[in-house]
Amino acid sequence: MATRTTDIQTDAEQLVMPRESKAPASQSLALSGGSPVVFPLELPQSESRLSTPAVGQRATRPDARLHGLGQTQYIDDISFPHMLHAKILRSEYPHARILNIDTSEAEKMPGVIATLTGAEIPENTFGPTFQDQPVLAYPIVRHLGDGVVAVAAITEQLAADALEKIKIEYEPLPAVFDPLEAMEDDAPKLHGETNIYTSKVIKKGDVEKALKESDHVFHRQYRTQMVEHVPLEPHATIASWDGNGRVTLWSSLGRITLGREDISRTLAIPQSRVRLIGTVVGGNFGGKNEITNEPIVALLSKKARRPVKSVFTRGDEFVSSTIRHPFIMDYTTGVNNEGKILARKVRLILDGGAYCSWTGTTIGKGSILAPGPYNIDNIHVEAYAVYTNKTATGAMRGFGAPQVCFAYESQMDEIAHKLGMDPLEIRLKNGFTENSLSPTSQTLQSVALKESLTQAADRFGWKEWQK
Amino acid sequence: MKKRGRGMACMWYPIGFTVAANPSAATVKVNTDGTATVLTGTVETGQGALTVLGQIAAEALGIATDDVHVVSGDTDVTPMDTGAIASRTTYVTGNAIVKAAEKAREILFEAAAPLLNVKPNQLEARDKQIQVLGFPSSSIPISEVVLHSESVVGTPAIGSASYNPPTVQMDPETGQGKPFNTYVYATQIADVEVDDETGEVEVLKIVAVHDCGTPINPMLVEGQIQGGISMGVGFALQEEILFKEGKQINPNLTNYIMPTSLDMPDLEVGLVDNYDPTGPFGAKGAGEPTAVPTAAAIMNAIYDAVGVRISTLPATAERVMTAIMEKRETEQKIVAS
Repeated sequence: MATRTTDIQTDAEQLVMPRESKAPASQSLALSGGSPVVFPLELPQSESRLSTPAVGQRATRPDARLHGLGQTQYIDDISFPHMLHAKILRSEYPHARILNIDTSEAEKMPGVIATLTGAEIPENTFGPTFQDQPVLAYPIVRHLGDGVVAVAAITEQLAADALEKIKIEYEPLPAVFDPLEAMEDDAPKLHGETNIYTSKVIKKGDVEKALKESDHVFHRQYRTQMVEHVPLEPHATIASWDGNGRVTLWSSLGRITLGREDISRTLAIPQSRVRLIGTVVGGNFGGKNEITNEPIVALLSKKARRPVKSVFTRGDEFVSSTIRHPFIMDYTTGVNNEGKILARKVRLILDGGAYCSWTGTTIGKGSILAPGPYNIDNIHVEAYAVYTNKTATGAMRGFGAPQVCFAYESQMDEIAHKLGMDPLEIRLKNGFTENSLSPTSQTLQSVALKESLTQAADRFGWKEWQK
Repeated sequence: MKKRGRGMACMWYPIGFTVAANPSAATVKVNTDGTATVLTGTVETGQGALTVLGQIAAEALGIATDDVHVVSGDTDVTPMDTGAIASRTTYVTGNAIVKAAEKAREILFEAAAPLLNVKPNQLEARDKQIQVLGFPSSSIPISEVVLHSESVVGTPAIGSASYNPPTVQMDPETGQGKPFNTYVYATQIADVEVDDETGEVEVLKIVAVHDCGTPINPMLVEGQIQGGISMGVGFALQEEILFKEGKQINPNLTNYIMPTSLDMPDLEVGLVDNYDPTGPFGAKGAGEPTAVPTAAAIMNAIYDAVGVRISTLPATAERVMTAIMEKRETEQKIVAS
């Protein structure tokens, strides 16, 4: 039987076989000892890596050399004898109660070795802020990306085919997709009695009084969209148990210490019986900071008594891994005639999707950063995160900062334009300097805001620039 | 007609978790040839963290980057780490490595002091030697001190330490407190061209000047900034997951449009000269903030070009064109009345 590994070897051999070519003859690519891997062992000497002091050097990366030579092993490159492949069946409804799961037809298929449902997971909850997310949903599905049944089979294709034989009966429940509708009392609820699952307030000075005393007051609502991290390498895991009941996982997780805690908790085994190996991650951007398929793959491996691998498809990556929170942001800012900001009032609504994930951090950073890097004596920020029956939103490069920066910096320009000020001037006038007080009254140190403004303006040629 | 515009945006961004503990631990072992091994529980996610962490260990031990090998990402071997998140690796894991390397170095000073007839606090590690402060000709190679320490003194040159950024709880009513130990700052300026007949926006150039404290490796900081801007351009102009009744209708790279190299503007990247005394050799961080101000700068440039303020992202051609047409209608009404 042609295995995937031998196919790859054949492909590689074809790739490096000398072919007729008009290109000038280069060094021989002939294989030695039948190995398809050919790489130079002479290491280039790099002054940046050999000099002291080491800090400040433009040192080259040893891993970059391995990437360039194709030697980096991502999980897709790793396999073990008798390894199985897992696929996950996802919900058919954005909100529903599972009445029955029938996996018998799938299990009858030759080559299908194990199936797994949420009911079989020892502790079927996880989450970095609250543990409100199931590893496999049961008995309630809360968005279409929720996994319901996992299958391990001898090939990826067989596992995918087996998903089609699984029969699930659902009782559809009313769903809510808009965060503002989800905040209303009569909206369908995802968890508990309210969809507003976390909130934050930052309060300093007297914002209402300062707005009344302002020469100009600006108001605008800003909105941002849901975006996906789109790492080159999707979420991937391999799990394998040994004869002492100890499991080893190779995972694309970006935080293995806490990953091991979560895996130990969901599997209900001590941390000492879990070894988590964080392989080189092919892009994280925040999306790989919590467990996803690790407990599923571990339990399938335990049932099948064979190593099991799961690599998300691009579709899985979009619908089931976390994405960036859309924000609805109301900004009201009062300034005097000289362009000094006197007050800023901000209301943020975060669309949280079906589960909390990293919302706690996102709402915290988003609220603290919302007034911008400016000296403002009167601040009121309130923020609410809301459950909706959509893909869960979590950590993504900036934790709410790109959203609020879009709002506060758009409004800074609107103010500058109205007052006839240069956008650079209004920022320099209000910007943080050393020992400025943050919105939470923290004394700021090593502040380099104005240096970045003036250096960027000089490099751009801001003063000389013409359309 | 294509119209040019320019726009700027600045930002601030914290390093590490919001109040919550986010420690990192590290172990530094010095070998008998003067090279060293660092154990860290973080993982390489493509940003070059392990190279930077190796440079930090090398600096603390007075050896070169190439002398350090970093072992990462195995819970059986490496000490705890909160992970590659919140732009914290250089600052938090870096500080843990400095502390761990200092402990290993202290063992070397204790072993070398009697051989050099001085007290341990009169020594420094520099240029691969343990030498007397202010008198470098009195020195012993690190390699010999390591061997002496483990074979004669009986102490291997191994140091372990952890670091957690100090914070103060935020008041639940007012949010007042010290949620982070340090912040970084940045400004990006965009030069764009907007087609006022199609609404299409082309970003021609972005100048980005970031503060990361002391850059441990300026080349890798520049790489982070370039990558962050590409995410910022996607967030500003193209990327959006679309839903219909809770179902994603574009969960693929055919219909979810990301910037490619052809969409990338010319980039000019600068770093401000800064030093944070709380960071490893003055460093803070550079991961997330690079993607923060890009969209705001582009939106301000669109306004400068065609006079419309885009308040909902992304600024797709349809959205920009709709705003341009609404503006024209309003202007015509004013003229008519």
